[in-house]
Amino acid sequence: MSDALRIDPTDWRTDTMRRRIRARYAAERRFRLAGLAAILISVGFLAFLLITMFVNGIGGLDWTFLTGSDATDPDRVGIWGAFKGSLLTMLVTIALAFPIGVLSAVYLEEYAPRNRWTDVIEVSINNLAAVPSIIFGLLGLAVFLNTMHLPRSAPLVGGLTLALMTMPVIVIAGRNAIKSVPPSIRDAALGVGASRIQVVFHHVLPLALPGILTGTIIGMARALGETAPLLMIGMRAFIASPPQGFTDPATALPVQIFLWSDEVSRGFVEKTSAAIIVLLAFMLVMNGLAIYLRNRFETRW
Amino acid sequence: MDMETTLAPKMTAANVNVFYGDKRAIEDVSIDVSREHVTAFIGPSGCGKSTFLRTLNRMNDTIANARVEGLIELDGEDIYGPAMEVEQLRARVGMVFQKPNPFPKSIYENVAYGPRIHGFAAGKVELDAMVERALVRAGLWEEVKDRLSESGTALSGGQQQRLCIARAIAVDPEVILMDEPCSALDPIATAKIEELIHELRGRYAIVIVTHNMQQAARVSQRTAFFHLGVLVEYGETTEIFTNPRQKRTEDYITGRYG
Ligand SMILES: Nc1ncnc2c1ncn2[C@@H]1O[C@H](COP(=O)(O)OP(=O)(O)O)[C@@H](O)[C@H]1O
Ligand SMILES: [Mg+2]
Repeated sequence: MSDALRIDPTDWRTDTMRRRIRARYAAERRFRLAGLAAILISVGFLAFLLITMFVNGIGGLDWTFLTGSDATDPDRVGIWGAFKGSLLTMLVTIALAFPIGVLSAVYLEEYAPRNRWTDVIEVSINNLAAVPSIIFGLLGLAVFLNTMHLPRSAPLVGGLTLALMTMPVIVIAGRNAIKSVPPSIRDAALGVGASRIQVVFHHVLPLALPGILTGTIIGMARALGETAPLLMIGMRAFIASPPQGFTDPATALPVQIFLWSDEVSRGFVEKTSAAIIVLLAFMLVMNGLAIYLRNRFETRW
Repeated sequence: MDMETTLAPKMTAANVNVFYGDKRAIEDVSIDVSREHVTAFIGPSGCGKSTFLRTLNRMNDTIANARVEGLIELDGEDIYGPAMEVEQLRARVGMVFQKPNPFPKSIYENVAYGPRIHGFAAGKVELDAMVERALVRAGLWEEVKDRLSESGTALSGGQQQRLCIARAIAVDPEVILMDEPCSALDPIATAKIEELIHELRGRYAIVIVTHNMQQAARVSQRTAFFHLGVLVEYGETTEIFTNPRQKRTEDYITGRYG
């Protein structure tokens, strides 16, 4: 009888077998260690950043700082002006980027025929998401200020510029979320006589919403931290009072941090760190919201 | 076809061709769908049963490269004609899919969806009654009446499929198309669906696709045998199974290929 046809049970206790098992265990251990090291590196950097900022900045976080605006004297500066500028800018951004981004995603996924034109659009959107933000700043400068003559340094223009930047991110996240809704759900709705719009609004969008929201908030958090495009459209002026509306001159949190970090006076070091704490807290809240929304609305099949 | 029919057919298809791009999946099929009987479509996998079934409620419209030629009528109305609204057609010709596909919503919402979008119910009371009636007819009411607000996706496979049948029934269709409704179910759930088909017969014209010949023999009175996109033979189920006229039909039902 040939060896391949033997019927006696495998002997798992030979030396070769044991060596195999030991090698396998060793590989598992090595992999776990490498993974742990990778995590430690990123967590370490984050901890270092948080701790230094906290130690340096906590002393500067007082009521005056939280309610005031920019000033020449580091003891009298406040973050409220820049915070409000960021808030107004973000409002413009989301009011524009979310509906347009989601509609584009729905159109591309559910309506557009697959042809060369939609391929071109798809490639353009993917590229747009990768364009460096300074380019969007230049675009905003050319279009909104020089052509449309909107006011300089205004949250309106900042928001418009950041919306251009955030839109492709929302379109991509939206398309992926829409794509992950099983086709059988569309069939089910069409099968009882739902129209395409009803399919989209009653079934596809609600199921895709957690993904869309997560993508949107990630895009918004990125926009919140953007500095370069805002510098281009003039949101770097010295503004001593918080903006009262979307067209008032304003600055934004990251720009304020950038401006203060450039100051020579030693008192600004603490204020820069304090401003970073505020910005990070704002971002944490936004990311927390993304996680909450995802868990809250996620459908389990 | 020379079978005795007392009533005019519910649906008729004449010289229907279906193409996916350049590929012809259905070739010159003509068939009448009886209103008081269950019609079974049988044939080896890939022969075009689903494709043809989906022409009957225009679900093929949703496939980008699919093209339908020929005349298909519902009570004498051209369903591909300009006067036919496709949403209305799909309410009148309901469909049950191969894999149970309840919405990830409550049992109640699953059944209420159709009546809602078509504006059938004047109020909550009326809608409740419609949901109950559909669930009763689908043989599911007793099992779910105490948990209508639970998710439809939490039911067992067989219950999900009966929920899908209830969802189709709720819009009061004239025809129900079923595409291998039992292929994902165990034998007991399958038996329940077959029983249900018996009960629904007469009230609705029913077309069922199956690759299970015993099932076709059990549930249908008319059987159409498809092969490679062609309708090979169509007739009384007992005739097809005991006395097929075509060699290919005989080969198939005796298990010589499939
Ligand atoms: N969306 C599609 N695009 C292209 N070809 C398809 C598509 N759906 C089905 N076909 C082809 O059409 C033929 C019939 O398929 P189908 O109707 O699903 O067969 P059955 O239901 O009898 O198994 C098969 O050759 C299949 O590959
Ligand atoms: Mg099929």
